[in-house]
Amino acid sequence: MNTRVSNNNGSLLASIGRRWVLGFIIIEIVFFSVAARGFMSIDTVQLILFYGTEVFLLGTGELFVIISGGGGIDLSVGFVMGFATVVSAKLMVLFATMGASPLGSVLLGCAATLLIGLIPGLVNGWLVANLRVPPFIATFSMLGITHGISELLLQGSPAKNLPNLAGEIGNGYFAYLTPSGSLSFFSRPEVARGQHVWAIIPNIVVLAFIFIAIFAFVLHRTKFGRHVYAIGGNRDAAIRSGIDVRKSLLKVYVISSLFATIAGLSYTLKYITGKADAGSGMLLDGIAAVVIGGASMSGGSGTVWRSLLGALVIAILETGLRILGLQTFTTYIVVGVILIMAVIIDQLFPNFNR
Amino acid sequence: MKKGYSIALAILLVLAIALPTFANGQGEQKTAGKKQLTFLFMPGVADPFYTTMEKGIQAKGKELGVNIVVAEYPKAWGPEDQVPILQAAIQKGGIDGLLIAPTSVDALKAPLKAIYDKGIEIITVDTFLGDGDYSKAGTDYGFPLAYIGSDNELGGKQMAEHIAKLVGEKGKVFCEATNPDASSVAARVSGFKAGVAEFPNMKLAGVEWCMDVQQTAMQQTLAALQKDKDIVGIFGTNVYSAQGANQAVVNAGLAGAVKIASWDATTTNIDNLKKGTVDLVLAQKPAEMGSLAVDWLYKYLTKKVQVPKKVIPGFEFFTKDNVNDANMQQYIYQ
Repeated sequence: MNTRVSNNNGSLLASIGRRWVLGFIIIEIVFFSVAARGFMSIDTVQLILFYGTEVFLLGTGELFVIISGGGGIDLSVGFVMGFATVVSAKLMVLFATMGASPLGSVLLGCAATLLIGLIPGLVNGWLVANLRVPPFIATFSMLGITHGISELLLQGSPAKNLPNLAGEIGNGYFAYLTPSGSLSFFSRPEVARGQHVWAIIPNIVVLAFIFIAIFAFVLHRTKFGRHVYAIGGNRDAAIRSGIDVRKSLLKVYVISSLFATIAGLSYTLKYITGKADAGSGMLLDGIAAVVIGGASMSGGSGTVWRSLLGALVIAILETGLRILGLQTFTTYIVVGVILIMAVIIDQLFPNFNR
Repeated sequence: MKKGYSIALAILLVLAIALPTFANGQGEQKTAGKKQLTFLFMPGVADPFYTTMEKGIQAKGKELGVNIVVAEYPKAWGPEDQVPILQAAIQKGGIDGLLIAPTSVDALKAPLKAIYDKGIEIITVDTFLGDGDYSKAGTDYGFPLAYIGSDNELGGKQMAEHIAKLVGEKGKVFCEATNPDASSVAARVSGFKAGVAEFPNMKLAGVEWCMDVQQTAMQQTLAALQKDKDIVGIFGTNVYSAQGANQAVVNAGLAGAVKIASWDATTTNIDNLKKGTVDLVLAQKPAEMGSLAVDWLYKYLTKKVQVPKKVIPGFEFFTKDNVNDANMQQYIYQ
C-alpha cells in the first residue's frame, strides 16, 4: 500500500511514533528491573535471547511473507516448526542407531531436516503463486497437514533417546570466561564449583543470528529482496516492470518454512525431544513480532531489524514475567494488547514504518 | 534515526552492565548478614500430587526455619514448560537448595548441571535423571544429592497382590495404562505383570495404553471386556485410565463384578472409592517425599550429613473398608 514513502522527519509526533517500540523495550527493562529481583543481569540477557530464539526466527520468516503483500501470511509456521522437531529428533535417533557418531547423527539429522523442512514452503508457495489460493487458506491447510504427519510419525509419544550431544549443543554457550580471565569456546572450563563462569551467548542464538543476518542481507541488499518489497507494494506495477512474481512468491514461502524449520531445530537441541505441538503457541509470537516491528499487514514495508525489535519486546516480556513469578498465561494477554497497539499506531501514522 | 537507536542501545548496555554489579553487591550483603536457608521447589506439573508434596515441603520448612520458594506450577508435563520457569526462578537468586521433579530423564540434565555448577544443591523428588541411580560412577547425572520418590515397580507388584486378595486369587485381570514412554508408568505395569505372575490361578488378559485420554481408556477396556468376558479385575495406572475403565465396566453391565484399582489417592479417586466405582486406591506419599527432601537437604547443608542416594517412602492402600479411617486421611492428596 504505502511503499517507500519518505519519512517525514520533522514532527515530534512522527519521531515518537517511529521509535515507540524501542521506547517500549526501555519501559519493559526499567519496569522489570525494579519489580523483579534478579532481572537486571547478564544472565537474564542470555535467557531472553535463549528463549526468544524461536520468536526471532519465526518473526524473520514471517516478515518475508508479510512484506510480499496480497494478504500474505504464513499460518503454518508453528506446526512446521513442530514437524521439524519431530523429523529431526527421529532422524538423529535413526542415524545414531545406524552407527553414526553422536556428532554425525546430530549434524546429519539437522541437515536432512533443513531440506525436508523446505517442502511445506514449496507447497505453500506453489499454491499461492501458481494456483492463486489465498495465503490464509493455503498455509492454514498446511498447518493441519504438518500437524497430522507429525502425530503419525510420533504415534502418540514424544520422540526420545536422542544423542546426549544434541542437548549439550542446544544448552551450551559459544564462549566461557573464567574469573581468572581464560576464555574457552564451546565447552565449559573446569572450575571450582560455585565459582562464577561467564557464559557468553547460547550456541543456538549464534546459529539463529547467522541465518537471520544472511536473510537480512538477502532482503535488504539483493535484487530479490527489492522485488519482494515491490510485489508487496504494488503487485500490478511489479508484474508490469517484468518481475517474476510467481518465482519470488514461491521463494518467500520457502524462506518462511526454512525459518520455521530452523526454529524447530533450535527446540530439538534445547529439549532433546520432538513434539508435534512444539510450536503451537508460537504463531501469535511470530506474527506479533513482525507487526509490532512496524511492518504493514498489507505488505510492502518492514525490516528485519525492526522485526527483531518486535520479537525482543515479546522475549523480554516472557522472561520478565517469569522472573516476576507471574503465570505465563499473562504473556498472551500482554502480547495481544501490544499487538493491537502496534496496529493502531500503524493506522494512525502509516508513513513511519518503512 | 540510526543515531537514535545507537544512543538507546548504548544506554541499554550501560544499564545491563552497571545494574547487576549493584544488585549483586546487595545480594551478598544479605546472605552474609543472616544465615536463613532458602529452598526452591520446582513441581513437575499442576496436579494434586505436587500440591500435596508442596504441603509436606512447606510444613518441614517451617519446622526447620527454612525459607521455601515455590516456582510456578507448569501447566503441562515436559521440559519445554518446566525449564524456562526453573531458570527464571533460579535467576531471582538467593537459592541454596533445589527440590525438583524433573520432567525428563534426559533434557533436564544440562539445565540442572548448570544450576549445580552455581553451587546450588539438588534433590530430585518423585522423578529422576538418567536411571535414577546417582551413585553410579562415570555418568553425566550423578550430581544430585539424592532421589526421593516411589518405587513404581514395587507399587505395581503390591497392586497386583491387593487385587488378588479382592478377587480371591483367581481369574483374569486387565491393565489400562497411560503412556509407555513415562518411566514411572512403565515400571508400574512391569511390576503389575510380575505380581500377577505370582498367582498360579491368575492371568493377565492384556495391557493397553490410553495416553491419558479417558475416552480411549473406555473404548480399550470395552474391547478387552468383549474379548475376555471373564475379566475380574482392572488396574488403571492413573485417574483417567481408572475412570475410563469404570465407564466401560458400567456400560458393559458388569458393575460390581469387575474390581477396579487405581493409582494415586487424588480426591477424585477417593470419591470414586466412596461411591463404589473404584474398589482399590494406591496412595503414594508425596507429602512425605517433600518433607524428607527438605529434611535431608537441610541436614546436608547445615551439618554436612551424608545423604542416602535413594530414599523410597512406601505406599498405602485405600479400600472402602478403611477409606473413612481417621489415620488414613493424611494420605489423600489435597
